[in-house]
Amino acid sequence: MKPSNKYWLFVSISVALTIFIVTGLCLYLWYQLSPEEKQLTFTIIKDHFIYIFGAGFVLLAGFGFLLDGIFNNYILPLNKLIEEVNIISSVNASHRINMEGSKEIVKLSEIINEGAQRFEEMRSTVAQKIQLAKADLEEERNLLATFMAELPEGVLICNTEGRILFYNKQAKFFLEGKKEEDGETISGKFIGLGRSVFNVIDKNVIVHALDEIAVKLKKKEPNAVSYFVIVGKNENLLRVEAAPVLSSNKQLTGFLLIIFDISQQLDIDYKVDLMLKSLSRDIRASVASIRAAIEAIVDYPSMDRHQRQIFDSIIHKESVSLGEILDGAAIDRSTHLHSQWPLVQMPARDLLETIQQKAEHKLNVHIDIEGTDSHEWVKVDSYSIISAMLFVIRQVQKETGLDHLFFTVNEVENFVNIDLIWEGYAVTIETIRKWDDKPLYTEDEGVPLTLKEIIGHHEAEIWSYSCEGCSDRSYLRFCLPAVESPESNVIRTMTILPESRPEFYDFDLFNQPGQNPELDNSLLTELTYTVFDTETTGLDPKGGDEIIAIGAVRIVNGRLLHEESFDQLIDPKRSVPPESTAIHGIQPDMLVGQPTIEEVLPLFHKYAEDTILVAHNAAFDMRMLEMKEKSTGIHFINPVLDTLLLAALAHPSQHDQNLEAITKRFGISILGRHTALGDAIATAEMFLKFIPLLSQMGILTLKEARQASKKTYYSRLRY
Amino acid sequence: MEQNGYEVAVAYNGEEAIETVDRFRPDLILLDIMLPHMDGYEVCQRIRQTHLLEGIKIVLITALGREMDSAKGLALGADAFITKPFSNKDVVQTVSGLLKASQ
Repeated sequence: MKPSNKYWLFVSISVALTIFIVTGLCLYLWYQLSPEEKQLTFTIIKDHFIYIFGAGFVLLAGFGFLLDGIFNNYILPLNKLIEEVNIISSVNASHRINMEGSKEIVKLSEIINEGAQRFEEMRSTVAQKIQLAKADLEEERNLLATFMAELPEGVLICNTEGRILFYNKQAKFFLEGKKEEDGETISGKFIGLGRSVFNVIDKNVIVHALDEIAVKLKKKEPNAVSYFVIVGKNENLLRVEAAPVLSSNKQLTGFLLIIFDISQQLDIDYKVDLMLKSLSRDIRASVASIRAAIEAIVDYPSMDRHQRQIFDSIIHKESVSLGEILDGAAIDRSTHLHSQWPLVQMPARDLLETIQQKAEHKLNVHIDIEGTDSHEWVKVDSYSIISAMLFVIRQVQKETGLDHLFFTVNEVENFVNIDLIWEGYAVTIETIRKWDDKPLYTEDEGVPLTLKEIIGHHEAEIWSYSCEGCSDRSYLRFCLPAVESPESNVIRTMTILPESRPEFYDFDLFNQPGQNPELDNSLLTELTYTVFDTETTGLDPKGGDEIIAIGAVRIVNGRLLHEESFDQLIDPKRSVPPESTAIHGIQPDMLVGQPTIEEVLPLFHKYAEDTILVAHNAAFDMRMLEMKEKSTGIHFINPVLDTLLLAALAHPSQHDQNLEAITKRFGISILGRHTALGDAIATAEMFLKFIPLLSQMGILTLKEARQASKKTYYSRLRY
Repeated sequence: MEQNGYEVAVAYNGEEAIETVDRFRPDLILLDIMLPHMDGYEVCQRIRQTHLLEGIKIVLITALGREMDSAKGLALGADAFITKPFSNKDVVQTVSGLLKASQ
């Protein structure tokens, strides 16, 4: 109950009780009197009624004022004080009390604030110590996480029920499908902690693999793994290696899936295979014709001139066609060769600057780079090519005795020429040939490869010459195949405005069909939630306002998973009023070409499957979703929790229950307020802070949270 | 080539080629890149260094067919580049063209 309502109840009861006691006392005295005394008393009262009534009224009014003073100065502030102290002690130690009330209450809040200050300092000291102790562990964990994230293979770890316990971004990319440039997902498959792996990989395939592994384990085979091939979301072929995760007593506790993208390799193999087959077929045909013609000439030396000319022309024709076969058999050799030793695009200038530093540092050779605004890109394995160039620089230094050289870089047709220039004679090909077969070790680093191997791998060439007419200057040219520079990514900016949406309650949160006893009795800390927010063209769902953005994040096992967000702009197929653009900053042209609600809602429905929906002022968002039920056929039956109602439950004395006020109380900073995803994240952080507050109030399960929400006075309102 | 009125001397490897050039003093050399021991580039560079002023034309012949090889050959002093397989006619045309230009 709201505290002011409590107050009026208290006042009414007090007044009623006082009147009852006084009346009772009067009646009792009245019956004790004899008739004469009654007559006398009646006369006295009648004569002095005005005084007696006045005295009674003044007494009652005084009593009322006193009660009001006590209530407003002591009882109400005390209630609020309890909530505020609770915030300090449980969720936000930086929160300070700013209280109006009696002197004592103000003094008390000052003392509490001082205590809170000390509490916060102490906590931060303890936190620092813990942080220090955790740092090492954290570092190792991060190292492992980074390693897993950067692996070229996708990795998924699941428990025996197929729930995902771990995944890396490659696995997400391979199985979940295409990521749009601005980071928005358009696919109906989701990978996330706690989600079922059977959403993305056919259950039968995994069951088959696990059966195969079980058989191998039974036979005590050392390599108990199973392989299968699936088609990924981008139509690429994925080879999956399934391996068991065993407990210490050799029981299967889960399985590990390692995913390799084999599309490219298959494609190359297929092309090479095709080329070899057609080469072999065409060459056989031509060689057969030539051989037959020559054998005829040899076997019949006396054939007439005309006959001989026919055979000669056959030989000529077939040898020409052999040449054409070779010309036509060109295949992208480099792709094939580089699949195992990949080359990476980088600006030639970056490469040269690294070499410049290393040469200075390791070889005491000073190199000036001439031409400062070059934009050539090369495709290299930077470590090996740098080792090769440093090796060459060292050899040039030995040959010439110079320690001041120059670099230039320029693009000619399809090549990038990197020239090492010095004053003096050119190095002969003979000398370079002697370098070719030496391994590229300098004092402390290098690669166990030869210059020839590295130059060959890069499809490059190296030679030295003196330019004509300037014999005092010599060049050593590294000629690399040129690549086009990659395009830069476009970054979208967001407008952030501090505005709040009015509270709507025209959706009945408590009669959602998806309730079941199993979920209802689950602890709030153990459930999986989808916390979401919508941005709309306006605030009137029934009047034709449409959703233009949905943002959502997941909470699994009390952890907010930023990585598994849902962030999608939606084309509303109607105009976006400037007033709403002023709030969410979504310009109408940003929505052109975005999917419609009919495309997005099924994806969001899939995203939120089997979770509890959480939103701030959920009634509004649920109403917006409900309006789309007919056109999309999508019906959300998930249980819903509203952080607005939870706030009213946990902090009934606070006036402001909007997102800004609550996040401020909790010390949560919102990144991207009024973007659907930004608000969803803030709501999720807020929700996580409410869970311990609710548990203090004895609200532990979903059912209890829903029932308590229902009771809050907010939930009875309807607009 | 002889049928076309040219006087021809033949060498079978790089060293022999350099010797022959010293003795024979040709107007033009047809030089294969793939030679045992010393490759065509090296022969080309050596001839250019020792016979600086003689204006000998050098035509490189390769079976590799990469654009980069011709860039390298031309940088090292070759005048033209022919890729295998080729017709006799192509060779004669290249040779006569180069020799006419030098006269």
